[in-house]
Amino acid sequence: MARYGMVFDLRRCIGCNACVIGCKQENSLPDGMFFTRTLSEEYGVYPAVGRVYIPTLCNQCEDAPCEKVCPSGATYTRDDGIVMVDADLCIGCSSCAVACPYDQRSQVDKDLFEHGLFGTDELTPFEKDGYQRFVPGTIVKCDFCSERVDAGLDPACVVTCPTDARIFGDLDDPDSKVSELIRERNGKPPMPELKTRPKVFYID
Amino acid sequence: MNDPQPVQNSLKSGRWIRSTCKMCLHSCGTVIHITDDGIINKIEGDPENLSNNGKLCPKGNAAIMRHYDPNRFKQPMKRTNPKKGPSEDPMWEPISWDEAFEITAREIKKSLDEDPRKILPSLEDFQKFNIWVWPLAFGNFNCFQSGGTMCGGAYHPTNGYIHSAFAAANDVKHCNYWINNGTGDGFSSHLHAAAQSNWVANARIDRGMRCVTVEPRLSTSAAKSEEWVPIRPATDRHFALGLCHVMVEENLVDYKFLRKDTNAPYLVGPDGYFVRNAEEKIYVWDSVENRAKLWDDPTIQKLALEGTFEVDGKECKPAFQRFRDILDECSPEEMEKITTVPAETTRRIAREFFAAADIGATIEIDGRTMPLRPAAYNYYRGAQGRKMGFQANHAFKMVNFLVGNIDAPGGHMGVTLDDQWVDKSHVAPGENGMMMPNPHQLGPVPPFAYPPNTYHLMDYFPVGVHPPHLNLEVFLNPGKYGVEFEPDVMVICHSNPLWAMQGPREGWFKFMASMRFIVVSDIIPTETTQWADIILPSHGALESWNMTMIEPPHTEGMCMRQPATEPLHDTKSEEDIFYELSERLGILEAYNGVLNMAQGLDHKPELMLEPDKKYTDKEIADRKGRLWNDKGIDWYKDNCAVTERRSDKWYRPWEGMRLHFYIEDMLHQRDQLKKKMEEHNVPFRNEWHWDDYSPLPTTRLDPVHEEPEEYNLFGMFFKDIQLNFGESIGNPWINDIVYRDPVHIALMLNPKTAASEGLKAGDIVRVESPYGKIYGRIGTSEGWHPDALGVSNSLSRVNIQHKGVPHAGGHFNDMLPYDLRNTDAVTGQPETVCRVKITKLDDWPAGLKEGLTVYDLVDDIQKPGKGGRH
Repeated sequence: MARYGMVFDLRRCIGCNACVIGCKQENSLPDGMFFTRTLSEEYGVYPAVGRVYIPTLCNQCEDAPCEKVCPSGATYTRDDGIVMVDADLCIGCSSCAVACPYDQRSQVDKDLFEHGLFGTDELTPFEKDGYQRFVPGTIVKCDFCSERVDAGLDPACVVTCPTDARIFGDLDDPDSKVSELIRERNGKPPMPELKTRPKVFYID
Repeated sequence: MNDPQPVQNSLKSGRWIRSTCKMCLHSCGTVIHITDDGIINKIEGDPENLSNNGKLCPKGNAAIMRHYDPNRFKQPMKRTNPKKGPSEDPMWEPISWDEAFEITAREIKKSLDEDPRKILPSLEDFQKFNIWVWPLAFGNFNCFQSGGTMCGGAYHPTNGYIHSAFAAANDVKHCNYWINNGTGDGFSSHLHAAAQSNWVANARIDRGMRCVTVEPRLSTSAAKSEEWVPIRPATDRHFALGLCHVMVEENLVDYKFLRKDTNAPYLVGPDGYFVRNAEEKIYVWDSVENRAKLWDDPTIQKLALEGTFEVDGKECKPAFQRFRDILDECSPEEMEKITTVPAETTRRIAREFFAAADIGATIEIDGRTMPLRPAAYNYYRGAQGRKMGFQANHAFKMVNFLVGNIDAPGGHMGVTLDDQWVDKSHVAPGENGMMMPNPHQLGPVPPFAYPPNTYHLMDYFPVGVHPPHLNLEVFLNPGKYGVEFEPDVMVICHSNPLWAMQGPREGWFKFMASMRFIVVSDIIPTETTQWADIILPSHGALESWNMTMIEPPHTEGMCMRQPATEPLHDTKSEEDIFYELSERLGILEAYNGVLNMAQGLDHKPELMLEPDKKYTDKEIADRKGRLWNDKGIDWYKDNCAVTERRSDKWYRPWEGMRLHFYIEDMLHQRDQLKKKMEEHNVPFRNEWHWDDYSPLPTTRLDPVHEEPEEYNLFGMFFKDIQLNFGESIGNPWINDIVYRDPVHIALMLNPKTAASEGLKAGDIVRVESPYGKIYGRIGTSEGWHPDALGVSNSLSRVNIQHKGVPHAGGHFNDMLPYDLRNTDAVTGQPETVCRVKITKLDDWPAGLKEGLTVYDLVDDIQKPGKGGRH
């Protein structure tokens, strides 16, 4: 069984947010909701100044704080390491959203599905079709496009990334691209001091 | 997990079709997923299309939201509110197509019968040149579309002279040292952004290509480059000349290339023209025999590039020496006073650039041995949008000329607009061993006439791209230019000139109000549709057929667009609309004649359109496909026609011809125009800036540097990948990312500059140039040159009927000039930087307090808790 993870190549990422919109397309996310974001941070003082673009999503932690606090068992980890939320079990208590140190969980409020993406109080056919996946009141997050993964495809954000800054693969396979990059370019997980053991790594 | 049906869109039951993106003018291959219920729910890049390798930019990812936008025009409509203004509700009334065509044809016909010059077209769908050329069917050269000047008014003609091509790009497959000056190529913008950023990322990471970005702001390109060189706005030409100075002074030059492949050795007389014999053959100087010979004399031993000589009693110098003379005053120390780039930085970059160019290296590609020059200087709108745009373009090309990288592997390459058929060559031999210059990359320009036959004075820009901003100059100064007609009908299709045009909106509003009739074909409300009398709604890009390929940097072929769904609304294709109008106006035969020529269909006579027939979008697309490779439209549904660009067309296609290092044609064009203006006593001829016509770039300052001192900063405008071209703000997914990005939500200043102006982030300000003003809120960032005020394209919209487009306090373009003083007399390129002063205000002015502004939206997004929606 594979253990899926993702590598973000900070040298490649141009902060274009194609991944963010690709995710919105794939997952029919309502307005203002994100399963992935690309942050932009400036550092230094003119003229010695730089900016880094930092892609983020659910880190699919091995030792997931969200899973630990979930009172209903809705949050669970698949055998391949992807952390899931079962909407049928989720009671919408938001404990997991509070526990997630990476701020990667959102609650889907009913009103998100009423105003529509265009704020006209009507839904487009795209929204009517796509919003059926959401159970109002529950918590949602990135699951590496688990259905695509099951079908042998890469997550939507990965396939669209213009610079191939997102690399997806099996962390347990030493020959996979992700393992190679983590090894050769010293991949670092986000906030390792929290000991959540993320399956997402940054290289620069 | 209990639901057996997939929830992810790309996996739902449905079908995938192959098509082409139209969220910008370029043509990325797509695959579109349509559910069994007929809903378009996912668009991805076509992994088989070599152009974009399965990638899509954020805009391409957002195309579905354009398709399902509830603000779309759903049927033909006529205006019932006779009052027109930026805030006037047109009070649309739905009408039938027949009535819409009847009214439109009747109103256009009145002007067509009276004087066809009274028709003002703005037809700007870059993927449908077949619509663009429609006015030629009645001999009309007017132009109200911004396309040329707001992208590359001077850029395209210069590429036409240097490469005989439309655009230019660095050869990413071999380049190792890439200078980006005022362009986002490879990072955020310009040619095929998704594709180019993929290639450039691979070159950077896999091959270690070094990038240097010269720009006033820490753009994406600058942020990702090894080096950001901040530069004062509107001084890029001087930076390039400083580089050239160092390269020539230190012999960092590919002299062999200059001698063999360019006209740099040709002797230039005191009048600036080449020295010719009685048969018009040009002289060169053989430095071994120390005497003049004709350029093609087989006994020449070594061509002189430097020195002063005498031929037929005339003092003359090689063209290269003329450039050297100009460079004498371009030391990096002198240029630093203008650009603020430290002289040592310029010297170092010149040396690094030369070292990376690896003069003398060769490479074999497809059996052909060529120079390998893996260093190239790339630039675009930010650097070239100057009053003296032609000279700016030429200066950047000169950096490339000096290392012999023009069209060489690893170097700076010409990029064609549209090859039309697979074997078409874009270069041809010209006189005296030189390549034929081809500055008119967008088709024919009108011949000289006085009084003028065009309202924007295109009659006087024999080398240029249309300068549409001059429509306002002529309109506001009716007697001055001798124009004997007043435009009274606008025909607009997929164009938003009221957004894109430079010059104050108040002036443009008067211009719009002076029209007797305005018809617009578009899909969503814009600043311009607000003024229309009739709306002819066109199909969206997911509902129509097309065949195109627009300036692909490294590939060639044709990209087919096909409908993913039946039209959602009562719309028509642009072809149906313009064919119907043509028939009703009695110009059908002429239109088909123009199309046969402009689309290259006459190259394959069996594809030529019959004079009296109307054609559908599918039939036109089919012909363009057949013109390319003899395959019909059905073949394109199953096959991708995009391949790597053939190396014989890409690398040195002009082999054996000499390139125009020295553009002597500038003087021919200048003198012919001068003579005609004298003959016709053109009253404004003494105002024409003849100095702009120079065969070599000079150090003369653009007038933006000579504005009154109170305007102490340089206002500049910028875009990033989410905002390229149109089709951006108003799309909820684009809004969702743009208004979370700190550089796109405020008027940007360096914090030290803000402090010295008594300003801090969050202050409400008025920004004024000598030509106009805007309002906004200040943001600060260390990533800005201290002399610059940066305004994002996201802050350029005004209230319109599209509810997703928030007002931003005025448009940067309001502050730009629209006069002859700030227009390149060669190409019509207007200045796109302005000098500004900033005044702090206590509160927003009336008019910006009500309604949704960008700043309200941003505040809402930044609210803690459940903020973040709009």
